[in-house]
Amino acid sequence: MDTLLLARLQFATTASIHFLFVAVTLGLVTLLVGMQTAWVLTGNHRWERLTRFWGQLYVINYVLGIATGIVMEFQFGLNWSGLSRYAGNVFGAPLAIETLVAFFLESTFLGMWIFGWHRLRRGAHLALLYGVAITAYASAFWIMVANSWLQNPVGYEVRDGVAHLTDFAALLTNPALWMALGHVVSAALLTGGLLMAAVSAWHLNRRTTDHALFRTSLRIGLVTAALAITLVQGFGFAQFGPVGGVQPTKFGGNPEADALIADWTARFGPGDYLPPTLSNVGLGFMILIGFALGLLWLLVPLLWRDWIIRLRFPLWLIMLTLPLPFVALILGWIAREVGRHPWVAYGLLPVDQAVSPISPWLMATSLIGFTLLLGTLAVTNWTLLARHAARGAADPALGRPPAQPPADDPRPEPAFA
Amino acid sequence: MELAWYALLGLFFAGYLVLGGYDYGVGLLLARGADAPRRRAALNAIGPFFLGNEVWLVAAVGILFGAFPVLEGELLAGSYPAVAAALAGVILVTAGVQLRSRPGGRSARTAWERVIVVGSLLAALGWGVVLAGLLQGVPLRADGHVAGVTHLFTPFAAATGLAVLALVVAHGATFLTLRLPTVESDRLRPLAHRLLLTATVAVGAAAVVALFSDRVRTAAQRPAAGVLLAMLLVAALLAARVALGRRRPGVAFAATATALALPVLLVGVTLWPYVLVSTVEPSASLTVTDAAASGPTLRLLGWLAVPLLPALLGFQAMCLWIFRGRTDGRAPVYW
Ligand code: HDD
Ligand code: HEM
Ligand code: HEM
Repeated sequence: MDTLLLARLQFATTASIHFLFVAVTLGLVTLLVGMQTAWVLTGNHRWERLTRFWGQLYVINYVLGIATGIVMEFQFGLNWSGLSRYAGNVFGAPLAIETLVAFFLESTFLGMWIFGWHRLRRGAHLALLYGVAITAYASAFWIMVANSWLQNPVGYEVRDGVAHLTDFAALLTNPALWMALGHVVSAALLTGGLLMAAVSAWHLNRRTTDHALFRTSLRIGLVTAALAITLVQGFGFAQFGPVGGVQPTKFGGNPEADALIADWTARFGPGDYLPPTLSNVGLGFMILIGFALGLLWLLVPLLWRDWIIRLRFPLWLIMLTLPLPFVALILGWIAREVGRHPWVAYGLLPVDQAVSPISPWLMATSLIGFTLLLGTLAVTNWTLLARHAARGAADPALGRPPAQPPADDPRPEPAFA
Repeated sequence: MELAWYALLGLFFAGYLVLGGYDYGVGLLLARGADAPRRRAALNAIGPFFLGNEVWLVAAVGILFGAFPVLEGELLAGSYPAVAAALAGVILVTAGVQLRSRPGGRSARTAWERVIVVGSLLAALGWGVVLAGLLQGVPLRADGHVAGVTHLFTPFAAATGLAVLALVVAHGATFLTLRLPTVESDRLRPLAHRLLLTATVAVGAAAVVALFSDRVRTAAQRPAAGVLLAMLLVAALLAARVALGRRRPGVAFAATATALALPVLLVGVTLWPYVLVSTVEPSASLTVTDAAASGPTLRLLGWLAVPLLPALLGFQAMCLWIFRGRTDGRAPVYW
């Protein structure tokens, strides 16, 4: 067994699970902000119910974002101590900023938001959700700064065999950063929008109660998803230029790549410096999915006079497309991350020098243990999400007035609970 | 500069032990066999603070990575089993508390409660062993890497793990006497009283084991300060007992909170100027300065993060303020 391979597998697994959840988090929180703002501005009860229902799903989904995120954060130290030692001066900075500036406040705000219904004034309660959303975007920004540095190290100089920060601004103007950020954020919006549309479509198709409510969220979700897929495509194609520029070896052989490989061979010794083709196959599928989802625009005109609901089959289509963005998310990341192989930091630090010198048995135990743990939690979480989505908006626990006895929780509770 | 960041790291980790500590303590108390409504009431007493508590750990590790990257790599990888256990515990508690009330059925809820108990146990033991590992020194080789993980399995590490566990349970019980309605709080007080005694004994036992451990004696750079802080810890626990007896749960909670923060201070002060003392190669030991990131990184982090610190702490304080007082019929129930 090979410690390096196991460490890479572990990173790939946790990162994938993490991203499946955080993309939904990022997408849904944006839509929630809109819905709660509408509630506060108009005072219309329907917006409150929408906020509670989708907020409930958002909060359930959030749990695994945190759980897997914490594992991601620790993994750098546990499995990649060579990365901390060599690049910590530069790569650690955006991560530290992310935790302090974004996560710390995000979680504080979210806790207050969940328990603040019926307790805080409406404006203050809404402000908390804005806080959650802004910090969520901030975290996406800083993590992409960190990731982009691995893709294309800039703003550093190597002294005594360790990278030191020389120019922080270069990290923020990294050519690998901005288009990727736009792509990730719009992909998250697409995922959130499509999730909302698909759950609404399920209810409308089943003719459950709350027709008007789910009609509204179907519209919001579909329009968001359609707008977002266009952005995803735009930013996606816009990435080829800058990424191909800084990583000539990523998208297959070309003269530039050959020159670079010759240079690396001279400096780091002979080796296989081209990424496995697997990553580009994934990229192709992702782009295919991207084009397919572009067809969502064809459904938008059907919103007129509710044809989309009356015809029924568009509802089925929406439900069937739901897995696609998730598959694309993973494929996209695999393309980006495996595509920089064999480097942790492109052209600077090879993976085998970054991995922690620990025994393969320990690494294997950790890989199996955490994969089982997070995998089980992920499946449980999705089951709970599906149940709550199917239960409908009659009485979500989130925002339930304290005086109202919960339907799912037979009293007698003690007087205080 | 390094000292300021070291202090900040200590502040955030100690903050995590204090705040996360009562989460885990309450979690462990779920095993007590109280009826379902009481267990739910206990979880909702943590309620709005829960998410803001564990994020202190996330921030501490962020600072560790940004400001002390070398320490991050060696400490975490060098204490792998303990860190991994603590991490698994943190995850179980996170998921357990938040998802426990999402299924309606009794049996599912009971199962999630077990998850919370196991998670709290792992987290408390794991962090205790990590702290003990620092205090007893690690086999840091000349090449800068920690060799193996067997160095963690010592009587001192076991004693410290158990002591932190006992501290956490006592802290959680004290927290509940402060947060739950007066009737419930009165019911819990005798239990908290007993748990505080257990914690005092456990801490004392760990201290005695430390005095007999060659490794701890060699690694300690300032043994006198270490002994003094350990005595302070015991004093804090005794003070908590007295305060509980006098029906001053606020004071008692402040005392147990101090008791959970003190181990971090103790490790920092006792090892100073080192953070990682090598048991095999004295020249390989890492001082705080060795372990810190270079000047430009620390300055950058200072410019960006420190002005935000008042805001970070301010919003947490705001959360405590808004949801202060005992839980009552008007408190939202969500966990
Ligand atoms: C584009 C989005 C994105 C990406 C690529 C990542 N994350 Fe993330 N992460 C989020 C967006 C996000 C989020 C949406 O902001 C979350 C979801 C729940 C939360 O608290 O924030 C989150 C959660 C989250 C948490 C938990 C915070 C808490 O306790 O509240 C940690 C520690 C991390 N992440 C760390 C990482 C690391 C180390 C990553 C990469 C190596 C990473 N995340 C990739
Ligand atoms: C944006 C933040 C991210 C950062 C900073 C990051 C960082 C890293 C690091 C340090 C490694 C280990 C070194 C290596 O093998 O190259 C890695 C590997 C990997 N990551 Fe990420 N990652 C991020 C996001 C993601 C996401 C969201 C996915 C989701 C699918 C992902 C998929 C992978 C895969 C598949 C590998 C293994 C690649 C290989 O070993 O060839 N990454 N990443
Ligand atoms: C027309 C469609 C699309 C194109 C042209 C496109 C293009 C790309 C390219 C070139 C990359 C690799 C960038 C790198 O290696 O650094 C990438 C990565 C990625 N893609 Fe796409 N993509 C498309 C659709 C999608 C869709 C539908 C999703 C998800 C909903 C998605 C999510 C991602 C993610 C998360 C990454 C990794 C992060 C990043 O590089 O920013 N993509 N995409």
